[in-house]
Amino acid sequence: MIDVLNYKIYGDVTVYDVIVVIIVMAFATIIAKLVTTNLRRALIDKMKRDQLELMLKVIYFGIIIIAFVAVLPVLGLELSGLLVAGGITGIVLGFASQSVVANLVSGIFLIWEKPIKIGDQVNIDGVAGFVEDVNILSTIIRTYDGLYIRIPNEKVFTSNITNYVAHVARRFEYVVGIRYSDDAEKAIEIIKNLIEEHPFALKNPEPQVFVDSLGDNSVNIAVRIWTPSTEWYSVKMELLWKIKTELERNGIEIPFPQRVVWFANELRANVEGKKEGRQA
Amino acid sequence: MFGYHDVEGFQAEIGEYRIRTEKVGPFYRYFRENGDRTEKDLSVEKGRLIINPVEPVNMPKSITNFLQIKFSKPFFVEPKSAIEVYATFPVEIAVFIAAKKSVGIVDIFSLQKPKYTLYGNPRDGIICRYWESDLYSEIPQVDKYREGVIKLRIVNSDDEWIEISNAVFDVYGMKIYYDEEIVYSSASINILSPKVAETRFIEQPLKEKMRKALELYTARRIAVTALKFVMEWGL
Repeated sequence: MIDVLNYKIYGDVTVYDVIVVIIVMAFATIIAKLVTTNLRRALIDKMKRDQLELMLKVIYFGIIIIAFVAVLPVLGLELSGLLVAGGITGIVLGFASQSVVANLVSGIFLIWEKPIKIGDQVNIDGVAGFVEDVNILSTIIRTYDGLYIRIPNEKVFTSNITNYVAHVARRFEYVVGIRYSDDAEKAIEIIKNLIEEHPFALKNPEPQVFVDSLGDNSVNIAVRIWTPSTEWYSVKMELLWKIKTELERNGIEIPFPQRVVWFANELRANVEGKKEGRQA
Repeated sequence: MFGYHDVEGFQAEIGEYRIRTEKVGPFYRYFRENGDRTEKDLSVEKGRLIINPVEPVNMPKSITNFLQIKFSKPFFVEPKSAIEVYATFPVEIAVFIAAKKSVGIVDIFSLQKPKYTLYGNPRDGIICRYWESDLYSEIPQVDKYREGVIKLRIVNSDDEWIEISNAVFDVYGMKIYYDEEIVYSSASINILSPKVAETRFIEQPLKEKMRKALELYTARRIAVTALKFVMEWGL
């Protein structure tokens, strides 16, 4: 057994040395996991999630890198030699795996530029959902349907990104059509009162409610409301139905598409006798 | 009704709300009713309920920690001067349970309809709880379950006359005091220029025997770093 442990793999490095390195690295990984898990539990309600995840990643890889650097001499490697070797290896790897390097560089730029953060609602190249993680090589999106989508960072970096919650407030718009016979001013007043009642329909910027166009079938009232970005969807869902029911409660109806038909000749019809049929 | 109460057999009416506890087997059940009913089971052998006004940024849910008091009429302040005026602020009521030297939040409710607003622009601004108030030279008479009174010490450090029409506060630094008659807080607005002011709450009760309200940020153990707020998007 001892002979096996003393068996030299290369230079002065024995099997025993390799086992020590493996044990130290495993131990470092366990320590890193323990530290980050406990830190996450302790800080999850005290820090922003994206900042917390970034900090945990730095700590996790920091512990592993420190352990790795510490055990290098056991493997007969010196740091200065490794840096030179690493530089050459890096160039070789760079040429060999351009897409990986492109993703890596894009990832670093994404983390630096921060167009998206963990937890944001975004649309990247047609993929809409919540940002679950921004890694060095890829970005993870959880779609609104709950699907896991991994997008390479190079694609994220070169795509149009729509971040729905990057700003603190955003606006949405309805177009509410009412009959030509209805009182548009009364309808506007009703809609304004409903908006005023809703806590998350912001007081400032002021909501806008106005007759926007005279349509084919209805007088169209535009309703523009600002809400906190985190609440816009729930406000948008709640208010439209409230507007519809409140308008109807006040005798204002949303008309169906309709067309007035004028006949060139007089129209005659007999609606009483089925036998006689219709005459036109 | 604000204050400390035994959890056993507790019953109270605050505005249109009726709150009470009931012993159900080994634990207590908390009820809040006003047409709708909110229930919560409290696993406590012997504890106390603490009912007091808290920072008014929790209804219908907590999305910000800023309060904007919009003055009904703009206030014109002379250069290099200081004046004390009174305004009102919305009251939100929290029910805490205290046992074994620890405090937990059971419920938060309000008799006021909440409204929110944006201070600043959509990109860099902040969402604030919105409240409109007159400015008074003397303490106004208000229903303590609906409105609190805040003393504002407005200091114009600038060399110009300055018009101020609102004040924005970070409520994590808010100190609220109460007694049988009034819910009270105190703050300062230091006007630095026509567009910039610094606001902060002051730890100062109106009367000596007023009780200090238990603060939410203490109960939730949120680390508070900055207690002042710089209004940089207009006064």
